[in-house]
Amino acid sequence: MTDIRSKAKLADLPFDRRTLMLGTTAGLTAVAAGGLTALAPSSASAAPQINKPAPDFTAVDSNGKTQSLADLRGKVVALEWTNHDCPYVRKHYNTGNMQALQRQAADAGIVWLSVISSPPGEQGNVTPEKANELTQTRKAAPTAVLLDPKGQMGRAYDARTTPHMFLINAEGTLVYMGGIDSIPSTRADDLEKATPYFRDAMAAVAKGEPVKNAVTRPYGCSVKYTTS
Amino acid sequence: MPGRGTVARMSGVFDRRNLMSLALPMATLAVLLLAAKPTVALESTATTSPRVTATLISDAAQVTPGQTFRVGLRQKLALHWHTYWKNSGDAGAPPEIRLSLPDGASAGEIVWPGPDRIPAGPVMNYGYENEIVFPISVTVPRDAQPGQSFAVRAEAEWLVCERECIPEKGSFTLDIPIGDAAVAAASDIQAAFATADTRKPLSSPWTTRLAPEGDALALTVEGADLTRTAVKGAYFYPATWGVVDHAAPQQLSLSDGVLTLALAKGQTFNPEAKADGLLAVTDGGGVTRWFEINPSISTAPGSANPAPSVIETLPLWQTALFAFLGGLILNLMPCVFPVLAIKATAIAKLSGGALREVRLAGAYYTLGVLVAFAALAGTLLAVRAGGTAVGWGFQFQSPLFVAGMSWLLLAIGLNLSGVFEVGLGVGGTGQQLAQKSGHAGSFFTGLLAVVVATPCTAPFMGAAIGAALTAPVYICLLIFLAMGLGLAAPYALLGIFPGLARALPRPGAWMVRLRQAMAFPMYASAAWLVWVLSQQIGDFGVLIALSGALLVALAAWMYGIAQHGTGRGLVSRGLATAAIAGTLGLLVQLNGATPGAAARSETAAGANYEPFSNARLEALRREGKPVFVNMTAAWCITCLVNERTTLSTDAVQQAFRDRGIVYLKGDWTNRDPEIGAYLRSFNRDGLPFYAFYPAGGRDPVVLPPVLTEAMVVGELERASKSASIAPPSNR
Repeated sequence: MTDIRSKAKLADLPFDRRTLMLGTTAGLTAVAAGGLTALAPSSASAAPQINKPAPDFTAVDSNGKTQSLADLRGKVVALEWTNHDCPYVRKHYNTGNMQALQRQAADAGIVWLSVISSPPGEQGNVTPEKANELTQTRKAAPTAVLLDPKGQMGRAYDARTTPHMFLINAEGTLVYMGGIDSIPSTRADDLEKATPYFRDAMAAVAKGEPVKNAVTRPYGCSVKYTTS
Repeated sequence: MPGRGTVARMSGVFDRRNLMSLALPMATLAVLLLAAKPTVALESTATTSPRVTATLISDAAQVTPGQTFRVGLRQKLALHWHTYWKNSGDAGAPPEIRLSLPDGASAGEIVWPGPDRIPAGPVMNYGYENEIVFPISVTVPRDAQPGQSFAVRAEAEWLVCERECIPEKGSFTLDIPIGDAAVAAASDIQAAFATADTRKPLSSPWTTRLAPEGDALALTVEGADLTRTAVKGAYFYPATWGVVDHAAPQQLSLSDGVLTLALAKGQTFNPEAKADGLLAVTDGGGVTRWFEINPSISTAPGSANPAPSVIETLPLWQTALFAFLGGLILNLMPCVFPVLAIKATAIAKLSGGALREVRLAGAYYTLGVLVAFAALAGTLLAVRAGGTAVGWGFQFQSPLFVAGMSWLLLAIGLNLSGVFEVGLGVGGTGQQLAQKSGHAGSFFTGLLAVVVATPCTAPFMGAAIGAALTAPVYICLLIFLAMGLGLAAPYALLGIFPGLARALPRPGAWMVRLRQAMAFPMYASAAWLVWVLSQQIGDFGVLIALSGALLVALAAWMYGIAQHGTGRGLVSRGLATAAIAGTLGLLVQLNGATPGAAARSETAAGANYEPFSNARLEALRREGKPVFVNMTAAWCITCLVNERTTLSTDAVQQAFRDRGIVYLKGDWTNRDPEIGAYLRSFNRDGLPFYAFYPAGGRDPVVLPPVLTEAMVVGELERASKSASIAPPSNR
């Protein structure tokens, strides 16, 4: 490459060229490799996606027990983001709609986790005792109520509203995310008219069928994430 | 709250405008006086909560049979409380209004005023603060009887939120007299409508299209009036949920006549469906207007050009010419210097050679440059097709590449120093093959020139390369090849005009001196790359790089002994080969090293900057703080020079402090998808990159890649000033 003397000798030429090619191809391969490694990890931090592994989580429930998705492998898991003072959440609890879904889940062997991502001082934040009291007084039937005051689990799932529903199949794949039903209102009488997206999703998974409307619009109050 | 002040300001404006709009009703003043009916404020009794005072208003105080007029739900909101647009964003819900009208009357839909963005942490909502009117057109039946009254009843429900949300509802009644002449409502009611009308969506005069690119969407708007001076901000409000990720920042880029917004695809984006919505455009005076757009969706990626910018507005030959000039300038860039060294020695060699040889060497060198450019373009295109945005100079983000490069440069340096010779061996050879060797040398010199030069291309070519990479494949290749020709031009010229070669000095002892001197830029580059490696993977990288360097030196020395010895030097050659193998073994070690584990030397307590993150940038902008963003990398020499000579100087740092500017620095030494995406949103693919976000959440000003103190301070001054004159009307 840089030979000043033009009287190069035959025996050396192969080595000469080999060195050159080695260097340059190493360089170009590194370019390509750089490009390829650039491809691989790009989806890791992105928002959850349907038919992809659901983001892992570890959170303490209202009984002090640590729940993690890894431990629940083999079970279908339903996630419900909640805030008991949000009018949209109240619509579903006051009418008994949410409790009915929770019982339906329990009957089908589905683990139902209610998640509270409100930090202290924000609407919906509760002590573990208050969480249990709410479950009792509302006759709710979740498997557990997870407390996520730092919003880590909420952000991992990109949960934006209360309620915001997710369904994870036994293989840990996210199969539903979105609204509880199709009519975004606080009116109780809309329940009957609405398409019950989440109920349909649970039924489909229980039967081993694909979920028809796997991504729908979540509606409700915004999740009151901590700003710190 | 900037929003509040704005609305107050606007209503002031429209009081005046209202006087003008009263000019027409003045004609009916006589009628009015005769009828002895004063204009009455037509506003229903209010439904009041601590959050909202809601009424039903009418813009007509008296209606005539067949007249079309407007009623509206008027909401006066307490500070920080908001109600929603028809697409409420991530949370919330739009108001619902049900009208009951006399038989034969008809009503239209709500004409939704253009909304503002109302972020809440990672959630983005679209709605209104302060005061808003939701207008609906109503037509009085032709057989309505003057003297009677026209009763409008409204049942409305709305959700009002601050951090918490409260559903509210109200029933409203208006009895509007029916007469022989129309009478407009009193000025305060007109003013309320007028305020809402400043947000009334206008029909868009522009052609718009939406192009999906992986997880992203590019919204392109074309119109001659879309210039950098006329447009200071833009935001796309999709009419329905799921088209666009509402919370993702929308990065604006503008070239005259073309506006592009980089959007994140929503969860249910469907290229078959409509993606209509409102484009909010904020002009130089800080006034925002909303335009209804229904962009066509280009489904076949590559068939449409998603980010036209410079490329589309310039004829192809001009684009190529600029790329060629860019390539030519590359010869003068600091990191091409090691390559210049190679070239200088090569030219020195040529001065003694035959004419035909000179020509061929030039041709081979050019070919090498072009092949390297084509390979780089191809790799970038392939990776881009995979949906990941990589940056120009990205190969320097791979520690493997950096270590390999430093050893290669060391080996070249040792060769120049005379430790070993390339192509000097035992046994005789024909002139033919020697020539071939020379040509292969020229070819690979060309390849090397490009590979080493890439980090320097960004300053001059950053924007053009960014545009090229979003352009159709053939244009992209054309630009890269034109750049390659530019880089090769000085050398190729020697081939085309052999007279120049003849004018070159005769070979002599000076060549040996020159060659030896040229070894030092090589060593310097190798040393710099070791430092880059230390930034990437810390002290472990330095250990590996230096051990490798030792082995390379050993190999070179051994090989040199074999060359100078009398025998065949099998032992020396064997040792040299073993050393090279050991070096390659070290490279494997690097593979396992985790990038990012670098001991960052500068993030100490005394640091005058904060590390860049999108979240931090968004938070600061929401607070209305001015922000200066600097994207840098250890392998970007221009970046480091800019920092030393400009950004870190007392004058600039003082200017930052005086204006309360938060200095965010992003380090792209290792691959970082967040920074990659950020640069892409500006249509850039390389470093350096500097952007200034003036106070008040205004849109950023992108600074040129080569900075001077006066320029930076001047730019801060200019941007801050225009910001203080025109507070944003759209948050």
